[in-house]
Amino acid sequence: MSDVVVKINDKDVKIPEGSTILDAARKAGFSIPTLCSAEGLEPFTSCFICAVKVEGGRGNLVPSCATKVRDGMSVTVESDEINASRKMCVNLMVSDHCGDCLPPCETACPASIDIKGFLALIAERKPEEAAALIREKAPFPGSLGRICPRPCEAECRRTRVDDPVSICFMKRFASDCEIEKYGVPQFSEKLPPTGKKVAVIGAGPSGMTAAYFLNQQGHDVTVFEKNSKSGGMLRYGIPFYRLPDSALASEMDAIENAGVTVKYNTEIGKDIKVTELEKEYDALMIAIGAQGASNMRVEGEDLDGVYSGIEYLGNVANSDYPDLGNKVVIVGGGNTAIDASRTALRSGADVTILYRRTRAEMPANNFEIEDALEEGVKIEFLNAPVAVRRENGKLFVKCIKMELGESDASGRRRPVPVEGSEYEIEVSAVISAIGQKVLPEAVAELGIEITKWGTVAVDENTFMTTRAGIFSAGDCQTGADMAVRAVGNARKAAVSINQYLSGEEVTGEEVLFNSQMGPLDKVPESLFEGVESAERIKMPVIDHKVRTTSFNEIEKGFDYEEAVKEAERCLECGCDKADDCKLREYATEYGADQNMFGGDRRGYSKDTTRSDITMETGKCISCGSCVRACAEIKGLNVLSFVNRGFQTRMTVPFGRSLVESSCDGCGECVKVCPTAAIMGVKKEL
Amino acid sequence: MVDTILKVGLGSCGIAAGALDVYNHLGEELRDEEHNFQLAQTSCIGLCFAEPIVEVHNSEGRTVYGNVDIKFADKIIDGISKGELPSENRLLEEDNTVKYLKRQVKFALKNCGIIDPESIDEYIGREGYKALKKAVTSMTGDEIIAVMKESGLKGRGGAGFLTGQKWDFLRKAKKDEKYLVCNADEGDPGAFMDRAILEGDPHNVIEGMAIAAFTTGASEGYIYCRAEYPLAIKRLVKAISDAEEMNFLGENILGTDFSFHLHIKEGAGAFVCGEETALIASIEGGRGMPHLRPPFPAESGIHNLPTNINNVETYANVSNIIYNGAESFNIYKSGDSYGTKVFALAGKVKNVGLVEVPMGLTIREVVEEIGGGSSTGRKLKAVQMGGPAGGCIPESLFDTPITYEAINATGAIMGSGGMIVMDETSCMVDVARYFLQFTQQESCGKCTFCRIGTKRMLEILSRITEGAGTMEDLDLLESLAEHVGKTSLCGLGQLAPNPVKTTIKYFRSEYLAHIEDKKCPAGVCRSLIEIKINPEKCTGCTACVRVCPVNAISGERKQPHIIDQDKCTKCGMCIEKCRFDAIDRF
Repeated sequence: MSDVVVKINDKDVKIPEGSTILDAARKAGFSIPTLCSAEGLEPFTSCFICAVKVEGGRGNLVPSCATKVRDGMSVTVESDEINASRKMCVNLMVSDHCGDCLPPCETACPASIDIKGFLALIAERKPEEAAALIREKAPFPGSLGRICPRPCEAECRRTRVDDPVSICFMKRFASDCEIEKYGVPQFSEKLPPTGKKVAVIGAGPSGMTAAYFLNQQGHDVTVFEKNSKSGGMLRYGIPFYRLPDSALASEMDAIENAGVTVKYNTEIGKDIKVTELEKEYDALMIAIGAQGASNMRVEGEDLDGVYSGIEYLGNVANSDYPDLGNKVVIVGGGNTAIDASRTALRSGADVTILYRRTRAEMPANNFEIEDALEEGVKIEFLNAPVAVRRENGKLFVKCIKMELGESDASGRRRPVPVEGSEYEIEVSAVISAIGQKVLPEAVAELGIEITKWGTVAVDENTFMTTRAGIFSAGDCQTGADMAVRAVGNARKAAVSINQYLSGEEVTGEEVLFNSQMGPLDKVPESLFEGVESAERIKMPVIDHKVRTTSFNEIEKGFDYEEAVKEAERCLECGCDKADDCKLREYATEYGADQNMFGGDRRGYSKDTTRSDITMETGKCISCGSCVRACAEIKGLNVLSFVNRGFQTRMTVPFGRSLVESSCDGCGECVKVCPTAAIMGVKKEL
Repeated sequence: MVDTILKVGLGSCGIAAGALDVYNHLGEELRDEEHNFQLAQTSCIGLCFAEPIVEVHNSEGRTVYGNVDIKFADKIIDGISKGELPSENRLLEEDNTVKYLKRQVKFALKNCGIIDPESIDEYIGREGYKALKKAVTSMTGDEIIAVMKESGLKGRGGAGFLTGQKWDFLRKAKKDEKYLVCNADEGDPGAFMDRAILEGDPHNVIEGMAIAAFTTGASEGYIYCRAEYPLAIKRLVKAISDAEEMNFLGENILGTDFSFHLHIKEGAGAFVCGEETALIASIEGGRGMPHLRPPFPAESGIHNLPTNINNVETYANVSNIIYNGAESFNIYKSGDSYGTKVFALAGKVKNVGLVEVPMGLTIREVVEEIGGGSSTGRKLKAVQMGGPAGGCIPESLFDTPITYEAINATGAIMGSGGMIVMDETSCMVDVARYFLQFTQQESCGKCTFCRIGTKRMLEILSRITEGAGTMEDLDLLESLAEHVGKTSLCGLGQLAPNPVKTTIKYFRSEYLAHIEDKKCPAGVCRSLIEIKINPEKCTGCTACVRVCPVNAISGERKQPHIIDQDKCTKCGMCIEKCRFDAIDRF
């Protein structure tokens, strides 16, 4: 056959007659996405993602996979118009995709921990490997495994069957096993030294996470910490009965032992100027947290006997126990209020929390509130202080009753004072725990942008501040938030810092498209067919009577066999082909938005009647490759197009299942499926 | 000697209106009584709005009666015996529908409503099969193609490709076996041109196909007719058999060495099978799904053999062109469009039915003169041309001449001939939604843009008609319309956005009223209207109470009534029932 010459985006390509535009474009070095063309099959032109524009046509885009070249043909294979078409194509496909790329727990985890993966390793009795897998995303499995507010468990699909998998504590279990086996946390080998120096301000969860990842990359990391110990709010904000000193220290020390230098008792702006750091180091990471306490804005809050929650908890962490007396009132409804209340309880006081809304609005974790109530903390809902006064050496709090009014910007109903309901109580101490704020003054000298909330402004993907080479993550960037988010964001910042130090374009951590089947309460019931109920593991705790008399850790950790059983409760959501899915690849490439249209979506259904092949039509993009592979390669016609319009499906016709068909399990359909709609079943171990 | 013939129109339209009852009644009369007339059947004459239609042929000529029921049929018989035909219910006379015929020119419909479609003799009696004889005995293929090209006949299925040119492709295809197909998979909602031709004059189509087969060298032919046309199929079966018997089909046609075998393939009702590559797949026994062209059917069609596909109306024009010459056809010319076009005139015009008009007549002439204008007395608003693939042309453009170029320029298409006339009570958003719903359901599901894109468009249109649409929705709708049209494989997907595009283009303000004001100006979209009773006018007669299917109306007798808006389904039955004009849509 003779050759023809075609122009692909102004580039001449000589190619045998009978070739397709796709062949020619590839020869010219252009990559064109394609989903419905598969090796060994005739072109079918169903997905249309490969559409290109032939000059002189009617303005339509034509499928390059099947359109034959003609001599002198001029084709545009890359342009804004074509990219827009491809993007729309992927948007349409993912809008009708009923499947999760990632398990919902992982999606919910601010640190993106591979939860399904580490649970599987525990189920396989490899908890040390589980700890290592967690550490790929978050270096503190032992600490986070004790204190995390568990956004993952709130999304656990198992909840629809019985109770969520005890994900959080399983991290601790992995860590416990690792410590038991090796004595200290095990890190993977770090990369050779790069000669680049990074300064990290703050040795809290954010700063130490960034330090860990950057150190692993071979950079020379120095952390500057104003306190005498590392851990930040994990140490100074969370009481030891929840996260013991030893558990935290072992994880922090490991990072130092791996080569990170921490300069303790070195406060920025006081002991060292931030501008000096900037000169001395190649990159700067600001992780100063949210160290300031919000004011109650009531009269008398500066009086002796009035403490802030973080101040109080910090003192206790430093073994400095202030004398609170016997009747302590805590103001606030967050985790700090709860922590302060339980700590005060342990110093022997009668403790009452005043919260201006109701239990339903309380931001503290429910299980923490439960624990506090169980230990004897009292909570007065719909109550707020209006003034504190001292008279004759006695401390009085004047309170007012509240009622809930209209919803505010956060969606919570705004508390409104009930006129004339003021009353006064005598107390021995008041702890105000109504919020924390960032104190950015010390780093503001760098000339970086500070938001109106006092937080450090960053690019949301790269965590780079408004000045190149200066990055920030953690509470100082988000405002007071959970540790796991600080860890996740700090890791992302570390990725950017590494890119910056390597002279690469700073783009941040790669974010892959993630199809989601829907929120927990909306996913189809059929997803849970055949799942047997299994009781969630309970965390063994120390005796209730001794609990409130010491700062000993309450939770004792899981029994090995029970933990393995718990890990087996994982439903293994998410897609087994998430790392090898062409739809996901293109959805990522073209920045697809699954919720662009918000319309109907095909439902979930899974044919598991065969032991070697499963079919999940919810993930099908109706390219027809399976139908054709079965017919053209195998001559069997097991699958066919069924229905019309939006309801068109590739399936075994007449409502039959695979096992009722003439399928012989050859797997040709599995090979050509560009998504995970048809999969070979993993061989059981 | 009987000199009076009574002809009853027994097309599907007539039968649906009760013509068969009239025909059977007249038959019984003839059997039981002495009568001085003959009974005959014909098919649709195009005046569908007046069915059942009975024609009286006698020495004085032809008298056409509309809306004939059994009682009136008796009156006609009575008139025949008395020598004085009834003066009422007459059609096609000076005072009513004269313009209806005056502006029409009938080629494709030349025998429809005239002859008995089941009689080959009657067809032959009107110069039937003379064109075939002329072609096979005195013309070469090249000569025929030259005449066809000269006539300017373009594919009447909608695409408008020059028929002579298309035949030439097949003629030049170097294969011993070739196929010829007649596309009778008429699927547009509201279109019945092909059905009327097949029911009314099947031989004309067969003759056209035979000439095409002779010209192109095709030896096998299919009429791909939707199974929902049982009468057309029945008449075709008989016509093919009769034609075979008289050697107009079969081996050595008319003593020449030209042979042509014609088969009927019944389609199962998939709209997309009107698309030629899908139609071929269906004939081959596969799922009706289009494939990429090229290769075009002329190169690789049925069983990968060269194939020519034309629409019913196209073939129905052939015998005239060949017998009477190209100029008999191309004398009707406007721009680059020649001859006539059949339209199924439907909607809010007086004379709903089938018309054949010369190219160049304006839409207004068709609607006002042939169609008789608005049937409701309300102002006409638009015509929808081309079915689900077509578009809405506003009243302001009614002076557009009917040519392929001019109609395309409006954003609509000539299509196969659907012409739906709408007045002020049609909501253009709802019209777009209706057609989108049709194309969405009829998409074969192969291409992403058509399968999912039209669904998303439909969802947006539904949101807008339900009052939940946003301006972002409108932008997204327009963007989707562009993408779906530009990036679909076949005409179904490529043209599906047309109703949306044209309604947005010409009636954007209606979209905005739905979105911004949450109002449906035409009072159609139920979520956006309220039906209320005017207490000043209501007399408390309770007629509305009795007609309301959901018991939403209450009130004391002789006191003003009220409608419970939570219960009301906005069906409007109360409005129609109220004799005091007291109920209105808001």
